Amino acid sequence: MLLKNTYNEFVKILAKPRSYLGIGALTLLISVILFAMKADGKSFISFVTSSFEQTLSFNGNILNGNLIAFIILQMLIVHIPLLVSLVTGDLISGEAAMGTIRMLATKPISRTQIVLSKFIAGAVYTLILTIWLGFLALVVGKWLFGSGDLIVLNSDGLVILKEQDILWRYGCSFAVAYLALLTISTLSICLSAFAENSIGPIVTTMSIIILFTIIGSLDVSVFDSIKPFLFTTHMASWRSFFEDPVPWSTIWNSVLILLAHNVILISIALYKFNKKDITS
Amino acid sequence: MRTIFTLLLFSIGFQSFAQEVDADAVLQQVVQKLNSVKDYSVEANIKANIPLIKIMPVTASIYFKQKDKFKVVSKGIAILPKQGFTDVNAFLMKKGSYMAVSGGVKTIDDIKTNLISVIPTGETSEIILAKLWIDTKRDVIIRSQVTTRSSGTVLVDYSYGTEVQYGLPNQLVFTIDVKKFKMPKSVAADLNKTDKQKQKTADKDQKGTITIKLTNYKVNKGISDNVFKEK
Repeated sequence: MLLKNTYNEFVKILAKPRSYLGIGALTLLISVILFAMKADGKSFISFVTSSFEQTLSFNGNILNGNLIAFIILQMLIVHIPLLVSLVTGDLISGEAAMGTIRMLATKPISRTQIVLSKFIAGAVYTLILTIWLGFLALVVGKWLFGSGDLIVLNSDGLVILKEQDILWRYGCSFAVAYLALLTISTLSICLSAFAENSIGPIVTTMSIIILFTIIGSLDVSVFDSIKPFLFTTHMASWRSFFEDPVPWSTIWNSVLILLAHNVILISIALYKFNKKDITS
Repeated sequence: MRTIFTLLLFSIGFQSFAQEVDADAVLQQVVQKLNSVKDYSVEANIKANIPLIKIMPVTASIYFKQKDKFKVVSKGIAILPKQGFTDVNAFLMKKGSYMAVSGGVKTIDDIKTNLISVIPTGETSEIILAKLWIDTKRDVIIRSQVTTRSSGTVLVDYSYGTEVQYGLPNQLVFTIDVKKFKMPKSVAADLNKTDKQKQKTADKDQKGTITIKLTNYKVNKGISDNVFKEK
């Protein structure tokens, strides 16, 4: 019954035009970045390497598909949560707003299963968005710019990774990026359980992300104790796979914290939805 | 007493005369050797040990053709010093554009060398000063320290093998100054690193080395100009 209901929930997601808005926006954004890089990528690279160019010269195909994918991931990981929450923030509250939640509750399925099926459907949608991002960034990027070694741009230096040492890093980083986006999906569904309209959970989700990101980027000691527990701190953990050596303990810590967020948020949503008065 | 003093003065004068080196002649011997190379291609293994840059050793092919055509072809990303590879040779070949001054004798790795300081006569030369430690037995440069207007000072240590008759080294070790490096946060986006963490690594000018091992020289076999065209 859970699977059947999950299927129905996914069909409902597919039936909404806003679901395609996310994929369309992602396609447009990445196309713009690819066009910009094709047109004037060399000056972007020159801007990055200029600190060293007084004494060093960089030879080889620097502006390649691997670097393009990295730049795209870096640029968009901040914006994709909006596209995710646009769809997932509506999953429970949208039913309440349209008045279909009571009809949903008449089905021979527990409220827990209703919420879980929405979480799973949201997770599948987020996965599709992540795979589409990966396809456009990596596959189309490599098709347009070719392959090659990857220059990772850090604020305190450069790491240059061999071409044959990159693909597994992308695989792992997309997996962690997916987990981060899943946390956004879970957060917005959890907030959706508290709301009666669609826009509230979406705006609240984005506000939380902005607030936590600002707290995370402020070098103020008063926030030092809470920073490690903010999910936004770990949203950029995908980047750690491009360090040399890979800081596995930091990554596992981030994965655990993101998983813990997911479990807690799902639990809160289940508790709230099971107690929710849907008769009035 | 006067006779002893005169003999002593004569002896000192004779010794310094014996040590006096004709800097121009020494340099021209080296230039003559370098001029015998019309073109070459060589396989290079480049190992860069530069602060703030992590990179694995890279293999590349290097092509050179008189008088200043130079190209590095590598499948991966290769980092080379901006100065010190061919520019010293190119500078030395412009006879009349510099003056050479002898700076004494120094032993480097058990090789007796003559230090020749090369100073450009023109005011617009990119090279400000080149110090060359020359092995006069083999007429090759053992060490060079080149100060340029744009790239600062680069120190290069040369080792020779089979192509010593052409003055071509089989290993070059470049020591360069790396300026402090700061990437804008918007470009780097490693938001989790605090400014305190970054300052530990980024705020000091440091020295780096690039070691280039050169093998499989093909000298004067002819290289097409197409090789040097930008793709």
